[in-house]
Amino acid sequence: MGRCRFEELIDGYLLNKLDREEAERFEEHYFNCSRCFAQLQARNELIQAVKTQGPSLVEDISPARPRAFSWASDVWTTLVNHPWVLAPAAALFLAAILIFSPLSKEKTPSFVLNGDSVIRGQAINLISPIIDVSTPPLFFEWKKQGENLEYKISVFNSDLLWTATTRETRIQVPEEVRQKMIPGEKYSWQVKAFSPTGALLAVSSRVQFMIKPQQ
Amino acid sequence: MCFFAFGAYNNSGMSKQYSPQELEEIVRHYRPVIGFSVKKALGPNYPDWEDVVQDVLTQVITKLQKGEFRGECSIGTFIYTVTKRRIVDCIRQKARVMTEMPELEATTLGPEEDVARKERAKIITDALLRLKPKFREVLYLYYYKELSREEIAARLGLSVRQVSERLYYAQKVFGKVLRRVFSEKNSNFSSRTRLKK
Repeated sequence: MGRCRFEELIDGYLLNKLDREEAERFEEHYFNCSRCFAQLQARNELIQAVKTQGPSLVEDISPARPRAFSWASDVWTTLVNHPWVLAPAAALFLAAILIFSPLSKEKTPSFVLNGDSVIRGQAINLISPIIDVSTPPLFFEWKKQGENLEYKISVFNSDLLWTATTRETRIQVPEEVRQKMIPGEKYSWQVKAFSPTGALLAVSSRVQFMIKPQQ
Repeated sequence: MCFFAFGAYNNSGMSKQYSPQELEEIVRHYRPVIGFSVKKALGPNYPDWEDVVQDVLTQVITKLQKGEFRGECSIGTFIYTVTKRRIVDCIRQKARVMTEMPELEATTLGPEEDVARKERAKIITDALLRLKPKFREVLYLYYYKELSREEIAARLGLSVRQVSERLYYAQKVFGKVLRRVFSEKNSNFSSRTRLKK
């Protein structure tokens, strides 16, 4: 059976959106058309049920889509409707990745530490001692890396000789450690910087120095 | 599609004699249609709508028995005309009641009818809530918020066609449930609907 041309008036009639003449014409029609009347009854039940339920009908649906989602949806619709836009859009997207990716790497350094500590990422510049010294050093000093960081210093001979942490960029060497440092021997030291949450942010290279033999 | 083949007069101007069975059939078929029209015009909470429907049916039967329907139009149009006049009379007589008493209960239902009505309402609500969210969302915006299809399309990021398809699908699924409910209702209804003689 074909679709009755009055069927499209059902919603308008029930929602009172028809003008008076249209409404009366439709009323007269459904007195004569059992199919339209059946649909009218069903649609009326549906509308009444929707109106009774009200907003609770969509409570489990996210109430308002984020604007970003709406924007993305619009872009997607545009791409679907206009495929020729796809190529320039893809080029722009790739360009954005290339432009912004180096910046992001600087902010999230990665380190590959092995053997003599090959460093990839931010490095801490060591200030002193970086050359041979005549006596065991009183202080180790390095360049400030950032605010609110914790530095861990490690001093090595053939093994780990001493390690300590500080929030300063300079640390005094305890006397008992200095006494262990023997003239004529080589030593090395390294500093690592950690965030307040304990994440490793920067590492220095391991610098060697020797305590000159006494004359 | 017409309800009945009554009205096959060929413009002869002769009135038809209706048998009691034919009249009863007319009442059975047209009572829900008249009821719908009356409720739509006077509001579902109008207290005396069933009396108005009964008045219309009585007038229709009387006119048919007196031969006042001569077949110039279909029986449906004839009954529509009688209904419309009665509604207009009712609005004139009780305009104040209509505006000031919209919250009154339409009728006092018996316990059995009340239970049946609640069961039916539950079936309808369940059918609605079983629909997928994307269909409920469109139904809500279209019927509750009364937005146009174009407005819904813009709001949900859909095409107008997609909105129409979702509406159509929801109506179709809902219609299946209602056909079952209505068939039960009509079978109950016809058993208690008898022509006043």
